[in-house]
Amino acid sequence: MSTFFQLVIEGLTIGSFYSLVALGYTMVYGIIRLINFAHGDLFMVGAFIGWTVLTTLAATHVPWGLGLLAALVIAMLLTAVLGVAIEKVAYEPLLRSSRLSILITALGVSLALENGVLLIYGPGFNTYPHLLTQAGFSIGGVEINDAQIGMMLLSFLLMLGLYIFVHHTFVGTAMRALAVDQDAARLMGIDVENVIRLTFLLGALLAAAAGVMEGVYYTQINFFMGFLLGLRAFTAAVLGGIGNIPGAMAGGLLIGLLEAFGAGYISSRWTDVFVFAVLIIVLAVKPTGLFGERVVERM
Amino acid sequence: MRHSRFTIRAGIIALTALLFGPFMAAPGSAAGDAIKIGVPVPLSGSYANAGIDILNGAKLAAERINASGGINGQKIEIVPEDDACDAQTAVQAAQKLIDEGVVAAAGGYCSSASLPELTTFHRANIPFALDASTNPQLTEMGYDNVVRTIGRDDEQGPFAANFIANALHAKTAAVIHDNTTYAKGLADNTVSALKTSGVRVVYDNAVTPGQADYTPTLTRVAGLNPDVIYYTGYFSEAGVLVKEARQLHMKGTFMGGDATNDPTLIKTAGSAANGMIITTSPLAQFISGAHGFVQQYEKAYGHAPGPYSVYEYDAVGVMAQAIRNAKSTKSDKIIAALHQIKNYHGLTGEIGFNAKGDRTKPAYITIIVKNEQFVPYQQLNAAGKWVVAK
Repeated sequence: MSTFFQLVIEGLTIGSFYSLVALGYTMVYGIIRLINFAHGDLFMVGAFIGWTVLTTLAATHVPWGLGLLAALVIAMLLTAVLGVAIEKVAYEPLLRSSRLSILITALGVSLALENGVLLIYGPGFNTYPHLLTQAGFSIGGVEINDAQIGMMLLSFLLMLGLYIFVHHTFVGTAMRALAVDQDAARLMGIDVENVIRLTFLLGALLAAAAGVMEGVYYTQINFFMGFLLGLRAFTAAVLGGIGNIPGAMAGGLLIGLLEAFGAGYISSRWTDVFVFAVLIIVLAVKPTGLFGERVVERM
Repeated sequence: MRHSRFTIRAGIIALTALLFGPFMAAPGSAAGDAIKIGVPVPLSGSYANAGIDILNGAKLAAERINASGGINGQKIEIVPEDDACDAQTAVQAAQKLIDEGVVAAAGGYCSSASLPELTTFHRANIPFALDASTNPQLTEMGYDNVVRTIGRDDEQGPFAANFIANALHAKTAAVIHDNTTYAKGLADNTVSALKTSGVRVVYDNAVTPGQADYTPTLTRVAGLNPDVIYYTGYFSEAGVLVKEARQLHMKGTFMGGDATNDPTLIKTAGSAANGMIITTSPLAQFISGAHGFVQQYEKAYGHAPGPYSVYEYDAVGVMAQAIRNAKSTKSDKIIAALHQIKNYHGLTGEIGFNAKGDRTKPAYITIIVKNEQFVPYQQLNAAGKWVVAK
């Protein structure tokens, strides 16, 4: 039984990263029907900015807690700026053209980001300083790390913040209106371009936060790290019902749990098979995903 | 499984790498009629560091050969090509080298990439000296154009099993690989040797490389409580695995194969890497005859050589010797001369090849991580007993 709970804890830890990144995919899809392939790479860029800040600060005598906060905030802000810049340069001119052009542009942006980081930071692995406590506690044979709790808590707070923002603020209402009908929203006086930009900004904020958290928690970062995680997060978004915010959160956690149970109980070699088999079954039964609605309310 | 997902990306990355190639690796010299030796290694992707260390070894070998007058009066030129550790990119890399007119190739890192490279070189009848690819199949295909300066997985596997059974006196072991050609080969060879040594293999499975979290797999392994956990994949995942194994308070000895032998492992895992034992071909740092090479390498590149730099140095050296003996750059003559080599004085010891092209006396040692440094641990003496390595 302790193995079961251990796997639940691990699945939730892995899943909370997927959820944070899945939100970016789902929000952008909800608003402009674009699968933003570059999103996983924003996660990677966030991790690298956080690494730069932390290693620069390590030379000074800033307390590590403060350094960590600075890394998180600076990485989130810079990545958000990057996210908006990408939207402005690469996607905005194509908003009215065919879906395919913008989709291929997204692939191009993804490669540009990966290779940009490759040129600046090199192809190897960069390692975050070992800041987090290895301390933890054990309940009935289940090993729980203090840092693990912190990471999960932080990601749940960020997701809660996003949910409140989208559902209980004026701008959030505008976002949801856009998701339903762009032209009608424009007629109602909503500044469509700005709201789209805001969507990219929010997605980038969360991705960067996940990137820094991944770096701090797992210590190893690499220019390619956004690919595998992006793929799984995208799967999470589809599983939850792409375009749906609670769906992305639930989808991410579910993928994390499936991965953990797959590796823990069946065979680590077949983890991906297990995850994607569940995805296929869910989509066969409910093509819009777990939380997805066919038409009206998307976000 | 892995390669199908990565193929498209790796292809595009390789393309970009070609564009940016000049930034990553400039060819050594550009003499008019230099003898070109191709070096296919990963220069992009996760294992690019290892590839660059190998390329550096090739460059130092070329420098030394050219400084002492080249081969029969001709200089040699190193032509690097990025194979991204990917089978399809590797075919293109080998083809590109052939198109550029290399007379021989020396290099390779991932066995999964070296295999298609070897086939491509075989078709063009170009000799290929491997420095790091240890999968047995490479020399089992009956090709005459291949030799290697490193041992094979079916030699390392039994060595590792011998160590686990007779030095660590383990009763149970878990073997984890990552489904790549190299890692699976080493895992399979180790598992079969463990069984004949009387060690019970309680877990034998693969993980997906590139993930950040392997705790579910480790939780499963922890439940089986093995005395030894042997990971036969690459260093980046090994760093993550050993760190997470410590977080789960796993008690068994954590071990890695020769591809985990890289400083990134220690940087990733920090103090959690302490106590990890690695089976490997001796590092240049631990070979008495290679101290000059280590100093020269550090002076030129600002860091210690990688685990295969010295094997690549010898691979280029052997190839140069073969061309010298052949007194020709014709493929058939070089290949014939290569198989004649019986006791070339390499930095890694006497080098000779058997009929398949395998090195006749490959050496292995175990090293251990102590205070976040690799130090020699134990090796087999002539009588087959485990003794402290120097």
